[in-house]
Amino acid sequence: MTTTVSAAGLSLRYGSTHALDDVSLRLGEGVTGLLGPNGAGKTTLLRVLATALPADSGAFTVLGHDPGTTAGRQAVRRVLGYLPQTPGFHPDFTAFEFVDYVAILKELTDRGGRHREVRRVLEEVDLSDVRGKRIKKLSGGMRQRVALAAALVGDPGFLVLDEPTVGLDPEQRMRFRELIARAGEGRTVLLSTHQTEDVAMLCHRVVVMAGGTVRFDGTPAELTARAAGRVWSGTERDPAAMAGWRTGLGAFRNVGDPPPGAELVEPTLEDGYLITLDGMAAEVAA
Amino acid sequence: MTTGVLGQLVRPVLRALPRRALGAGAGAGLLLAALPRLLSDDPDQWTALLVLRGAALALALGLTFLLDDPARQVTVAVPTRRMLRTALRTALVVPLAALWWTAVVLLIPSEIRPPVGALTLEAAAAAVVALAASATAVRLTDEAEPGQRVAIALLATSMAAALLFPENWGLFAAPKDKWWAVGHDHWAFVLAGAALVWAACGPEPVRRRRLRLIPS
Amino acid sequence: MSAVLEKAPPAERADEQRRSRSAVLALALFEARKLLLRLPVLAMFVLYVAWIGWTMRDAWTTFPALQDVDRATQTGPLLPALAVLLCANQAVLRSRRQDTDRHFDVLVLEPWRRTVAFALSVVPAAGLTALLVAAQFTWGVIAPGSVGHGSVGELLVGPLTVLLAGTAGVLLARVVRSPFAAPMLLVLAFFSTLFLGAISTGSDGSATRWLVPVIGDASSKTLPSDLLGRPAVWHALYLFGLALTLALAAVLVNGGRTKTVAAALVVAVGLGTWGAVGQAAKVSKSTTDARVLATLNPAKVQSCARHGNSTYCAFPEWMPRTGTWAEVADHVQSLAGGTAAQEKLLVRQRVDARYGMDGDGAIEPSTTPYQVTVGTRWGGPRVPEFAAAVSSVLVTGSEKASGSLCDGRMVTIMWLALGWQSDPLTQLRAVRLDDSVSGSAIVLSPTNPMSMTAEQTTVVRELLTAGKVTVAPKVKAHWAELTAPKVTTAKVAELLGVKAPAGADKCV
Repeated sequence: MTTTVSAAGLSLRYGSTHALDDVSLRLGEGVTGLLGPNGAGKTTLLRVLATALPADSGAFTVLGHDPGTTAGRQAVRRVLGYLPQTPGFHPDFTAFEFVDYVAILKELTDRGGRHREVRRVLEEVDLSDVRGKRIKKLSGGMRQRVALAAALVGDPGFLVLDEPTVGLDPEQRMRFRELIARAGEGRTVLLSTHQTEDVAMLCHRVVVMAGGTVRFDGTPAELTARAAGRVWSGTERDPAAMAGWRTGLGAFRNVGDPPPGAELVEPTLEDGYLITLDGMAAEVAA
Repeated sequence: MTTGVLGQLVRPVLRALPRRALGAGAGAGLLLAALPRLLSDDPDQWTALLVLRGAALALALGLTFLLDDPARQVTVAVPTRRMLRTALRTALVVPLAALWWTAVVLLIPSEIRPPVGALTLEAAAAAVVALAASATAVRLTDEAEPGQRVAIALLATSMAAALLFPENWGLFAAPKDKWWAVGHDHWAFVLAGAALVWAACGPEPVRRRRLRLIPS
Repeated sequence: MSAVLEKAPPAERADEQRRSRSAVLALALFEARKLLLRLPVLAMFVLYVAWIGWTMRDAWTTFPALQDVDRATQTGPLLPALAVLLCANQAVLRSRRQDTDRHFDVLVLEPWRRTVAFALSVVPAAGLTALLVAAQFTWGVIAPGSVGHGSVGELLVGPLTVLLAGTAGVLLARVVRSPFAAPMLLVLAFFSTLFLGAISTGSDGSATRWLVPVIGDASSKTLPSDLLGRPAVWHALYLFGLALTLALAAVLVNGGRTKTVAAALVVAVGLGTWGAVGQAAKVSKSTTDARVLATLNPAKVQSCARHGNSTYCAFPEWMPRTGTWAEVADHVQSLAGGTAAQEKLLVRQRVDARYGMDGDGAIEPSTTPYQVTVGTRWGGPRVPEFAAAVSSVLVTGSEKASGSLCDGRMVTIMWLALGWQSDPLTQLRAVRLDDSVSGSAIVLSPTNPMSMTAEQTTVVRELLTAGKVTVAPKVKAHWAELTAPKVTTAKVAELLGVKAPAGADKCV
């Protein structure tokens, strides 16, 4: 893997809370998923990497540029696309105008070329038909895609996406996954999400964060493998299991330390994620 | 590069300006300034001074909304610097504000018009205080639209100041008062101080500055 | 059929109403807490408390009249009122601003009930203001030497202003949904009110004058409380009706179109109009008659008390103060010589009440021999002013005679007035119009002022520096010469053993 984005020792505190605690990671081309419970520091990490928020300490580089100086930060921002968790819009702008506005801010000053680029990204997110509509008339899913188009415009080499699939219906989510997968071709994409399916379907790598630190960094298969031999099926919820629920088929799926002779089943990415977080809980308790 | 960006930005930034808030401020100011002509047969200089100060405050309140940007989160990490964007917004408004102030002053009948230079200094100071306050709010918080909070703070502060500041500071003196001249020195200080704060809040810091007892 | 569907059993409906009412109350408490903890509101309340401290800082030495203290409580609450208006407005807009409207609008508690809760949420702020107003007034009541009566109507203006501001903020948010409307309209309203107040100085504007919350007076004198003629209770009723109207209007525009709300709105508008009409009425004939009587023939309404040789007549509210006057008069008289030392004085309280609080009139000096005038205010410079009036009457025989006085007797008058004080030079400064202790100046008294030449000032200053023990026997010994008309200042100085000043003695 060629490293495109690397961070070392990123720390950031809000008062006495460690939002980021010595985070180091390396990203390469393709989509990297960032999983973690609420308050794990995902959004803070994304904002730091998107240069929206300076860290207290630590350093990182994006495609060879160091944002630790004003000039370096400008260089990073020229290759960056950022989709914030709660994007805001100028409601009176049309979709085209809004993306065009962001494109100007990204220093695409050649008018003809820029308009072609804006049309291209709107096409890419499937909004060509409504590009002349005012944003206040668009649905939630469409607005989310306008924000994605704003992130994609200018063909950035590093794309930071903060929970882009929240609030979308299943069909919209599928379409979004497609978009992100396409965006990941030849680009570095960091995708924060609560959806383990997103990661399973899109990412070649996954980072699990909790309590401001990185708990896991590897491939989705490796994360899944953490749960190997620790998922079993039974006729009832096993009280010893850390998690257990009745599946659609009627049997109980238990995750944790199986009793002897349990009927083991194939683990999923989600099981691996739960096991990883549980390890952390045990660590905290210890 | 930068000039190219600026040129292209003029149109969308004009569209993105909080026109209604600015328009409301300007309209309220014009209405106040028109009061002596509309309602009074025998206006005096004191009422003229009063409505001019009211007009200046109205525009200042409108200006607290100038940096409101609902799309702030989307545009937080673009290469065009915030200072540049802020400066452009301000630059687009300044000529209009100057035109507006001229109209306001001309609305006051000339025989009761207080010294225009001094009042312009007051209005400019109020406007820059409003800009500095909203720049501070943008610099210190993540809020996309801090305008309303800033407007409330500015209004509350100015009313309390008018009520509580000692008379010999002269900030709200009338032309015949002995504190008039001193007051305008103070207004100049206010203007300069606010401009400094405004400038200081322009750049986006590369590092978070925080108080540390032990240097790391 | 539909009737059956619509009408739930009465018990169930009552239960539902009770639940919804308690939900509104709970929301109101929640919002009230948030409102009171908003930074602008907190800051303005702190400033208001500081303002109370500042206004009342010398209440203990100025002998306040409670009919003045009650009106003095009215301007301070404008500070929290401003913050409450803006923050209540912002609280109502919060839901729209943060886009929770779509969610909240389908909750059990309908939007109009939430508006009721918002309107109720400003009540605790008004309550807090009432407490602070009460504290300020109580401070005046317990201040030593306070007299008179406060008016509940005047005291209610402060809290009602806060209530009115809060409901105005709520209504505004329900009518204009932009975040800048409240600050902008407030500035507009504030400055145009000031403007209208500044231009309508005529007496015809009394009906519109009373439409704004806090009404100042053209005069700063103190009147007996029954002569004030301010429609305080009507005004309080007007403010309350207006606040209620605004709150109910907000509920109504928000969809609360129930019969109860409509009926309450009619009542509120009625109350407000009733108050507005009541306060717009001209000052009643009985009050104007009483004012004329109190001004021209105060003896008819005053009571009198004897202290020592002299009689003190005052408006009933001031009777407790006659003892304080008597102390001063006795001190002055004790320094006099000849028959003046035993003279029976009549001290009469007088005030020009003919114009109410809309204007001032000078009180003519009394022509009756040995009658002294005392005003309605006391403390600070009022004490040496009264002392000067007493001494001038002792020296010249009447107030009228001392007005045109232009000779050396002025030295004796001033020495009698101030010689007994522990710090006479400070009192001399206080009694002179320009606060000086040298040069010529006007000396204030409850009626016409007197004038001191520069030479007289020098002599008086030297006498005061020399002290009571040295000067008093000389005054008594030479009383007849000192009080003889046309006596020169040089002669007086010589008689009292002070160096005669150079220069001619010319009256100003």
